Amino acid sequence: MAEALAAARPRRSRLARRIARHPIGVAAAAVIVLLLAMVSFGPLLYPQSPEAANPALSLADPSAAHWFGTDELGRDVFARILAGGRVSLAVGLMSMLVGLTLGTLVGGLGGYFGGRTEMVLMRLVDVFMAIPAFFLILVIITAFGNQPGTVIVTVGLGFWAQMARVVHAEFSKYRTAEFVEATQALGASHPRTMVRHILPQVVPQAIVLATLGVGWSILSEAALSYLGLGIQPPLASWGSMLQNAQAYLWAKPILAIYPGLFIALTVLAFNTLGNALRDVLDPRD
Amino acid sequence: MTAYIVRRLLQGFVVLLMISAVTFFLINLAPGGPSSAVNFTSTASEREAVLKQYGLDRPVVVRYLDWLGHAARGDLGTSINQGLPVAKLLGQRAGATLELGLTALLLATVGGVVLGILAAAFRNRWPDHVVSALSALGMAIPGFWLGIVVIILFAVRLGWLPTSGVFSVGAQFSIVDRLRHLALPASVLAFTLMPNIVRVTRSALLEVSRSDYVRTAHAKGVRPRAVLLKHTFKNALVPVLAILGLVTTVLFSGSVVIESVFGWAGLGRLAIEAANGRDYPVILGVTLLAGAFVVVVNLVVDLLYAAVDPRIRHG
Repeated sequence: MAEALAAARPRRSRLARRIARHPIGVAAAAVIVLLLAMVSFGPLLYPQSPEAANPALSLADPSAAHWFGTDELGRDVFARILAGGRVSLAVGLMSMLVGLTLGTLVGGLGGYFGGRTEMVLMRLVDVFMAIPAFFLILVIITAFGNQPGTVIVTVGLGFWAQMARVVHAEFSKYRTAEFVEATQALGASHPRTMVRHILPQVVPQAIVLATLGVGWSILSEAALSYLGLGIQPPLASWGSMLQNAQAYLWAKPILAIYPGLFIALTVLAFNTLGNALRDVLDPRD
Repeated sequence: MTAYIVRRLLQGFVVLLMISAVTFFLINLAPGGPSSAVNFTSTASEREAVLKQYGLDRPVVVRYLDWLGHAARGDLGTSINQGLPVAKLLGQRAGATLELGLTALLLATVGGVVLGILAAAFRNRWPDHVVSALSALGMAIPGFWLGIVVIILFAVRLGWLPTSGVFSVGAQFSIVDRLRHLALPASVLAFTLMPNIVRVTRSALLEVSRSDYVRTAHAKGVRPRAVLLKHTFKNALVPVLAILGLVTTVLFSGSVVIESVFGWAGLGRLAIEAANGRDYPVILGVTLLAGAFVVVVNLVVDLLYAAVDPRIRHG
């Protein structure tokens, strides 16, 4: 036990040192925590309601009471940013989980078993890679409608294939590794070998891809909702706020600025964190 | 080489076939699929008549094979909402998308390669950092939002360029008019495509610059700029070529949204209209065309790649 600890300690501190070499990655992580805190607790602290309309205060300028001003119905824009951020981030995170799960499952099975299973599964992945993601999303939305659950799954389906390719490459690398052979010789079942022994090797890469996947998902959801095909009223996301704002480009262009800035900031933070994690977790480069 | 071409052609054909199957079954097996779209009609007998008219009373596999047979002869069915043949609608819209897409691709490739060279030449110095910051922004900023911002800036505020459309309605055809309409959407689309190209160019250049023949060129006294442009760049172009397939899929995805922002009457807009109106034959046709495009581009890229690099066609 003590030996294991002693062996673990220098490794952790090396990881810590590598993290410390990435101040930008740390900053990105801080921004993400801040954004998550803001959309989680902000609506409780900020006194204005995102839904309360006030026709007398339509398209008002920012003030002490309404930090970002109001929209065409007199609703508080900052309160709507907080509420919309909840939706955008929740969809982004959940879609990422969908893509991650499906990608890992398909890629893992294909890579582990090889042969015909691999052939079939990876050709399927090729097909999904060849359909431009947004068209695939439109096809599914056309067929299945746009309930929030469908939107989440659909956006996740937009990038699972990429995930599957990476996981597949890793699993097929370990398929013939000695430790896998040893595990199998000891009588471990296939699921156990895959989950307990190979999967942990893939975790670093999966974390990186998942982090980048959140950014991708948030962007896709925003585009979809901006087109009126994603999150529907009364729910609003940053994307659907932009759809509203486009009608007031001449009267109140600033309405179209806020949601986009928040989308860009959030995606930038996740992408930056993902790239930093790649350097930290995967020192091969 | 011929064997390689034949093999790749067959593979591309299979992928295309599978794309059509995946999209067809996705649409037809959904609980809200085409057969439920006729629920608006009043009576059961009317509903049956409509189902029969569109052949929806047959099993889905039969319908798929039937659709495939027609598609092979260039008949992609009829739009539910517009009553026109899908192939004709696609033909009407493809030109606008090609115009926008090719312009954006050209801008993105030239810009991306130049910025990539710059970043590699000044590795870890400020031009490299500026370029990587720009790329990070290009990846993070939603294309449609950037579109809105440039409309606010250049069309609403400054009034230099039109806000939307492919050309001025009612005006005579003029190149200048077309270019003025093209400028904003093509630039925005290019900006979102560029990061991929920049990244690959930069890393390919750095990779090649570590190779022995580049060191030899330096050692025998070739000027650094000549080494970069003649010895390194030529070989680094190969990976750049290789990602054009990926870039095309990103381009198609991006054009859907950008066409909407700028009221550009192309395939992307057609897809959105079809999705909004649940126009199944149209969404199917557009997706298939987009997929076919990606398959063809990948094929061309692979063949060029094999032509440049003999290791691939013999490997």
